[in-house]
Amino acid sequence: MAGRVIVVTSGKGGVGKTTTVANIGTGLALRQKKVAMIDADIGLRNLDVVMGLENRIIYDLVDVAEKTCRSVHKALIKDKRLSNLCLLPAAQTRNKDAISPEQMVTIIDELKEEFDYVLVDCPAGIERGFENAVAAATEAIVVTTPEVSAVRDADRIIGLLQDREIYEPVLVLNRLRPDMVRRGDMMDVDDINDILAIKLLGIVPDDEEIIISTNKGEPAVLNSQSKAGEAFRNIVRRLEGEEVPFLPVNGEPGLFGRFLKLLNGK
Amino acid sequence: MLASVTKPVHNEQLVFKGLKQGLTLFVPENDCFAHWLEVLDCQLDQAKGFFQGGAILVELGERQLTPGELAGLKRVLAKYRIRVEGFNPVLRKKNNPRTEKRPPASSGVLLVKGTVRNGQRLENEGDIVVKGDVNPGSEIVATGDIIVLGALRGIAHAGAGGNVKAEIIAFTLAPVQLRIAHLISRAPEGREEWQGPEIAYIKGEKIVVERL
Repeated sequence: MAGRVIVVTSGKGGVGKTTTVANIGTGLALRQKKVAMIDADIGLRNLDVVMGLENRIIYDLVDVAEKTCRSVHKALIKDKRLSNLCLLPAAQTRNKDAISPEQMVTIIDELKEEFDYVLVDCPAGIERGFENAVAAATEAIVVTTPEVSAVRDADRIIGLLQDREIYEPVLVLNRLRPDMVRRGDMMDVDDINDILAIKLLGIVPDDEEIIISTNKGEPAVLNSQSKAGEAFRNIVRRLEGEEVPFLPVNGEPGLFGRFLKLLNGK
Repeated sequence: MLASVTKPVHNEQLVFKGLKQGLTLFVPENDCFAHWLEVLDCQLDQAKGFFQGGAILVELGERQLTPGELAGLKRVLAKYRIRVEGFNPVLRKKNNPRTEKRPPASSGVLLVKGTVRNGQRLENEGDIVVKGDVNPGSEIVATGDIIVLGALRGIAHAGAGGNVKAEIIAFTLAPVQLRIAHLISRAPEGREEWQGPEIAYIKGEKIVVERL
């Protein structure tokens, strides 16, 4: 059976697409799934850095499309921690026009025969890079932060996805700050749901750990102490069809949270 | 293509027919819309050049489109350089006996279901009814009335072309801008969002908003 092809997109830049791909990819691989991550952000690639795999790149997406390398497998980089996780990096010295949506479809059609999941890291914007990234996808994860501008762009993206026959994208709400929501200074989940009205896949709290893990090249899902990591582990479970309750976001730690705090001695 | 049209919409096939209002494409009510888009693409491809550069009306019968399906229809027609002039000329005649009071429009109500999202634009010569929200960054332009069964947060232009009798009605009226005929208004700064249906229309030379 062919694997699921999921594009992770947002419209706006800097809301956490790449971090989301790295964490969901790693999280799925931890559950013994075969996962391929594709960085479609040609010219501004980041996923390799976030995964800590930058120094292993030999061939990239454009090489595969132009058939500079013999097969797509030549360009796939195995993760250094998990053997069932692969990355197809973007080219850094080219731009988005170096590849066409049709070429993306060809490459992904080949990958999905072999992998359970193909995750596509979409660049910001709605131009060629977006067209390339969504061309072969049948599902989409829309990432947004609780800011008006990010939510507007997410809304635009959902409309564009629906034009491309991806009718039920799901939402990851990233970088939520429970303390600010409690004070009424930040949009909360209901405000965002009012506008976007799509299924919520997960809420990721703002967490310093993410910055540290991104710089170190180690996705936060691997860190059992990280709150964001826990949120991503839940997202992965929901993606696999499990019903997982949402972590409390109102700032009051739930029973489980208090228990954890006790255990950690914080 | 020669089938006679007794019902507003033929049930088995796409039909082009010349009506008083203009050349009209009849889309059957059964089957999914995507299917008929493919058929349309195919038929237009065979009749290459025949319709090119023209404008047509589209009769959808009871069918309600999503904003995405609407975009798809426009995309297919644009491929053959055909413009949609308006929707549902037949339904309009049946359901809208008030026609004589208004400036003549070539078509009737366009029914859209689902959220109209940022960047999407709906146009119709006639009225537009949206069963869903209209989000910020979207535009709705109708020569007649605009009715939103949900929250209107985008830009709405009713009576485009000069109909000063046009009205805008929404369950929650919180638009970026309201336009009726030649007038433009925006909500006063800091206006509390009133949760309840409201109506906007022209009174004197101003757009006024009232609770329904």
